[in-house]
Amino acid sequence: MESNAGTKETRSNLTASDGGEVTAFESLQFTDEIHRLILAPTTDNSSSFTALLELPPPQAVELLHSPDSPKLIAASPPNVEDFQGSFRFPSNSGLIERDARFSLFSGEANNSNEKRNSPESKNVSANPEKNVKSEPAETESSQPLVSDPTVEKRSIKRKDRENKVKGSTKKSKTVANENSEDAEKLPYVHVRARRGQATDSHSLAERARREKINARMKLLQELVPGCNKISGTALVLDEIINHVQSLQRQVEFLSMRLAAVNPRIDFNLDSVFTSESGSLMDSNFPSLVMPAIWPEVQGNGHRQQYQHQWHLDTLQQPVWGREEVCNNYITPENSLLTYDSSANSATLQANHLKMEL
Amino acid sequence: MCPHSSLKQEFLKKWIMGLQRCSFSKKNMSILERKKTIKLSADIAMASARNGTTRWSRALISNASKDGSDNRLVQQILGPESNTPVAAITNKARTRRALVCKKIVKRSRRQIRRRRRKCVAAAPVKAVTSSIAKHLVRKRTQVLKTLIPGGEFMDEICLIEETLDYITSLRVQVDVMRSVASASVRASEP
Repeated sequence: MESNAGTKETRSNLTASDGGEVTAFESLQFTDEIHRLILAPTTDNSSSFTALLELPPPQAVELLHSPDSPKLIAASPPNVEDFQGSFRFPSNSGLIERDARFSLFSGEANNSNEKRNSPESKNVSANPEKNVKSEPAETESSQPLVSDPTVEKRSIKRKDRENKVKGSTKKSKTVANENSEDAEKLPYVHVRARRGQATDSHSLAERARREKINARMKLLQELVPGCNKISGTALVLDEIINHVQSLQRQVEFLSMRLAAVNPRIDFNLDSVFTSESGSLMDSNFPSLVMPAIWPEVQGNGHRQQYQHQWHLDTLQQPVWGREEVCNNYITPENSLLTYDSSANSATLQANHLKMEL
Repeated sequence: MCPHSSLKQEFLKKWIMGLQRCSFSKKNMSILERKKTIKLSADIAMASARNGTTRWSRALISNASKDGSDNRLVQQILGPESNTPVAAITNKARTRRALVCKKIVKRSRRQIRRRRRKCVAAAPVKAVTSSIAKHLVRKRTQVLKTLIPGGEFMDEICLIEETLDYITSLRVQVDVMRSVASASVRASEP
């Protein structure tokens, strides 16, 4: 599992790299992107800009932040229509651009670094290479996020985002007033990142804890059959609970069955063994051999017989000699095991035992 | 399950040994008693196969050795390793106390936070949905804690790890018991 430090580093790397990217020549690209985004659907009507805010942040982040800008922009109109609601941008491009970047970047700072750890970040970083694949990658990444029913997380992040947007817009506006449109608000990203993450040691610890829990939940999902398709902690936990309960019930049922079948509690392993000589092919088989040998220690007469067939007593005696000789382990009527018929099974047992030893 | 074959063998060995040892204590047990002893020895064998590395195994053994009637059985099954239950109990008591204190602190903190948040106006829909989701998750974790032996004293992270281990060992147990049961059924047929 990742350590706290590791996750923090990756997160800070993400933000740093994002900031770095933005700081670099990408800054200009973003303005162009946004301009194009804004201008493209203006052919439609113009109405409230808040539709953008209501977009689930990750999608909007993907839309704006993916460094693969030109293809993205070319792809954006169809993607835009995919998203809930249509994008209606007012004509005031400067204001829109600034506000869009603020809201989306803060959303990105919160969500992308927290919810999507490695796979999504890889997705984002992998975009620059692939052009044609950017669309499906984006829609893919957006769709699971859309269908992500971790409502709790999203709503929490939205609250945080809104708070931070309010707090940070003041700062960013002042900075924006200084620079014109091309000042690509990398400082904003830094500021927001710092405000969002580093101030609260509590939130950092909480985030690390959340990531740990999520990593382990993923392992559980893989273990329990049928949990891979479910998303959402509560439902996955439901499945896990059902699975554990069913396993416990099976144990109860099997123990009842065993109790019903055998009149004695130390069920006749010898008879069990003989009957199963051919059929039990799994690794249980060799260990079943072991207890059958114990009574043979006492029954010398039988022992001779078995030695011929198994050639393993000498091997096993030292292993099992340490065990207390079963006190009066009664080998009743079944003691004379007819191994003659099961010659091949004897060799099988031999193989199994050799493997085991 | 190939990677569990060693675990299966160990479990089977311990189980059968335990059964043999406790077969001398009583004769002519009723079916329910038999079932109980079978299940108990299976559980303890499973738990001791872990050698005290996991919390649920220690909790299972200590729970079993608490009851007077089963104590003898446990002692018999465990044999020379009778130190482990005692250590487990003391360990558990210590951790239990610490965790109870932690729980109290957490609960009080949560109440304080709730009181504070009531003053702050939150977007109603989002708060409601998030609280509902949290409530559901919390309920589920409560149920899970009751299922896993010794789960009430674990925090969430440990709980999930323990469920992982517990599920794998339960599966091993079920597999082994099923094969033994089918074998004995087949043996008793003719």
